[in-house]
Amino acid sequence: MGDIKPVYLEEKLKEVEESGRLDYRSKTLPTWCPGCGYFSIVEAVAASLCELGIPNENAVVVSGIGCSSRFPFFVNTYGMHTLHGRALPVATGVKTANDALTVVAVGGDGDGFAIGGGHVPHAARRNVDMTYLLFDNGIYGLTKGQTSPTSAIGFRTPTSPYENPDRPLNPLLMVLAYGASWVGQAYAGRPDHLNRMITQAMAHRGFSYLHILSPCVTFDKTHRTYQNLGMQVRDLPADHDPSDRAAAMRLAMDDATPALGLYFREERPTLGDALDGLVEKAGGELPGKVAAKPARKAARR
Amino acid sequence: MATDIQISIVGSAGDGTIAAGEILRNALAGMGYKVISFDVYPPEIRGFGKCIARMRITTEQAYSLKHKSDVMVSLDDSHAIPHANEVRDCGAVIYEQGSIVRLPEGGHMSAHVGPGQLPYPLPIRELSEKSTGANRSRNIVVLGFIAGLFNLPAEGFRKAIGKKFRNKAAAAEASEAAFKAGLDYAAKTFKLDDVSFGPPVSSVVAGATVEMINGNAAIARGALDAGIDTFFGYPITPATSIMERLANEMPKRGGRLLQTEDEISAISAVVGAGFTGARAATSTSGPGLSLMAEMLGMGVIGEVPGVVFVSQRGGPSTGMPTKTEQSDLHMAVYGGHGDAPRIVIAPTNVDGCYRCAGKAFEMAEAYQTPVIVLIDLYLSNRYETVVFPARPPFEADLNRKPGKQAAGAQYKRYALTEDHVSPRAVPGDKGGMHVVTGLEHNELGRPNDSAELHTAMSRKRHEKLKRALKHPDFTQFKRFGDEGPVDVGVISWGSNFGECLEAMLKVRAEGIRCAAMKVVMLSPFPTEAVAAFMADCQEVLVPELNYQGQFANLLQAHVARPVTRLNRVSGEPMKVEEIIEEIRRLAGSKAAQKAA
Repeated sequence: MGDIKPVYLEEKLKEVEESGRLDYRSKTLPTWCPGCGYFSIVEAVAASLCELGIPNENAVVVSGIGCSSRFPFFVNTYGMHTLHGRALPVATGVKTANDALTVVAVGGDGDGFAIGGGHVPHAARRNVDMTYLLFDNGIYGLTKGQTSPTSAIGFRTPTSPYENPDRPLNPLLMVLAYGASWVGQAYAGRPDHLNRMITQAMAHRGFSYLHILSPCVTFDKTHRTYQNLGMQVRDLPADHDPSDRAAAMRLAMDDATPALGLYFREERPTLGDALDGLVEKAGGELPGKVAAKPARKAARR
Repeated sequence: MATDIQISIVGSAGDGTIAAGEILRNALAGMGYKVISFDVYPPEIRGFGKCIARMRITTEQAYSLKHKSDVMVSLDDSHAIPHANEVRDCGAVIYEQGSIVRLPEGGHMSAHVGPGQLPYPLPIRELSEKSTGANRSRNIVVLGFIAGLFNLPAEGFRKAIGKKFRNKAAAAEASEAAFKAGLDYAAKTFKLDDVSFGPPVSSVVAGATVEMINGNAAIARGALDAGIDTFFGYPITPATSIMERLANEMPKRGGRLLQTEDEISAISAVVGAGFTGARAATSTSGPGLSLMAEMLGMGVIGEVPGVVFVSQRGGPSTGMPTKTEQSDLHMAVYGGHGDAPRIVIAPTNVDGCYRCAGKAFEMAEAYQTPVIVLIDLYLSNRYETVVFPARPPFEADLNRKPGKQAAGAQYKRYALTEDHVSPRAVPGDKGGMHVVTGLEHNELGRPNDSAELHTAMSRKRHEKLKRALKHPDFTQFKRFGDEGPVDVGVISWGSNFGECLEAMLKVRAEGIRCAAMKVVMLSPFPTEAVAAFMADCQEVLVPELNYQGQFANLLQAHVARPVTRLNRVSGEPMKVEEIIEEIRRLAGSKAAQKAA
């Protein structure tokens, strides 16, 4: 991955401070284990919010329950740490109430594709204008290492002491089939690429889904380690056309050597556009969308 | 002369029974009568299930339907015959005089009209066929006959028919002809002496409007008048028409409505929108409320405003979707894990549905909590004439805003205050950034599970709700009937209270000292007022439509005192006569004790 250049701590600190991205980090320190891939995700999200110049008060980070779902506490924005599996419908409510907000949903593989799996297709098909960051470590970390819906067959955990009998889901392929309008994959071990992908995802108008591979350094010593992931990941072929959903799905089917990058992107009306269309059809008046106005009060009577 | 007439139309699905009822009650309401109406129909859309359209037309306010009708119309004898004994003596039974098929012994209504009842055999089918060329308009023929029989202004009927078929020119034309055929036929028949309509009495103040509306429509109207911004819902009987009406009306006012993938998603989105500062609501029935329990708890601990309209149906699990019951009180008041207090209000009539729906948004905002408005199928589908004030009686904004933050000070979303309500910033407000979490938290909203904080926050969440007991311009409870000490006090809630009120008024006429109290606010419970009422009562009767006596349980958790329970789970409203009998029994036993 290119030449390795020496990094001097003082220079790096100066660069980070001057970038302004620290304004997007909260004073609460992350609760994750040392070495967890999620540290690079919180850094990348702060950097992306900073690059896009989104005012802190206009960003809302919504999560469910899990290690990754502690995320809202570590960024300096509005946030909601909701129930296990319910980040997407809550985030849909937030965005529906105020279009001017930048809404980011975060959560783990269990939160999004086990207990909350019923909500993903609907957020995707409605094209809710939000970004969904799925932290996939293939394990339930917060409850100390049980099997998740993306754990490999044969994986041994306290709830599958002999071996995991179930084949893993392929969330990337599912989300492409559900009709998400922006789908990408990144790896926590490649923070710069991760940052670029998050920025793109947030800049996309519509439902953007970024699948982030990340190791659980505490409970998974055998499968999804930095060492294994580092060897497996590759870049998407340079000639991949991100407007071709079928091609994207073919690439997503290869989950043994996951490819990083932008799989698919299309522009189409968002849920907000559709709901505004209904107002016009009904002969109603659209309320002004001013960020400072919390709700749609202008529409009253 | 005071008018008090009950008409029921009984038929088979497909006969136009419910449509005839709708036209009739709209026509009568349009003439200025007070109407209360509740239909019965089968859970299947097609088929030959029994349909009954029932309405009571009065000049004084009525609170429930009567056990016996004054007039019954049969559009299908096989369904109507079992109801023949529900027509009072000197009342009329209107039915098809001839039959084109051979009927089994006793299959014709003529064999079932009681000796005291007046038979009106009509050539309904023939009149329909002669006037329209088809037998489809039998229901309208009957309406014409009723108009003629009672000398009611035909213009009122024509208007109601026109409204019903406003987009169907052919049906409107046929109905006009069928109506005239029925009307003309009535001119040739003898009149009913004992049942007659007096002139309507209008008591409407200037600016107000009278509308014939059912509970679900009243809920929707209350939500609209309170300025609902967003609605998220999933179809379920008997609550669906709340959502359908809002789907029509909200976009006209710039509002947003979304049909979600399930009830969990619906309540989640309500919590998300409430957090964002919108007035948000959902509607559901018991099964949906069960699914929402966990997210309601999130609303409670996160102190997020939101409104849930719940229309109860019968039984656990799928139960009886098209029957009424009041068996979700425990779920509404206590449902979910942890100490999760919420506001639960239960209107007792259609006008109450409107007021409770609007006030629910005020309370959710003022006390930062989920509010459940609990009705049931009987109230959802019950039509009443309601007087709407010229200006909606709801406040547009009761949010407590944080104001200017002191420089450098961290915003405390859950600040412990004297009245336990904390200033609330919403996304978009500068300097108010915070995280709402389902974890126990400190004043800043950061996770914290210390004994002191959990105690303080639990107290905050419970104590702040008590202010709802004094929420302005809202009837939390009300006493009717005799003042001071009484022989029997009836205390009830929800749709069932109308029957209780009728029963109380009837037994007072018999000389029993009796009072009735309705409790609208079920949580927090108005203990003081209810205890004071019960102290006045020698005997307390608690009638309700569930098996366990859920309201009686709630009552006794707050006021330690024996009560007599009267529980019915027939899936139908309670019979006023049953309540009267129980009051008499209690009054009698009290009298016997006194005599001894």
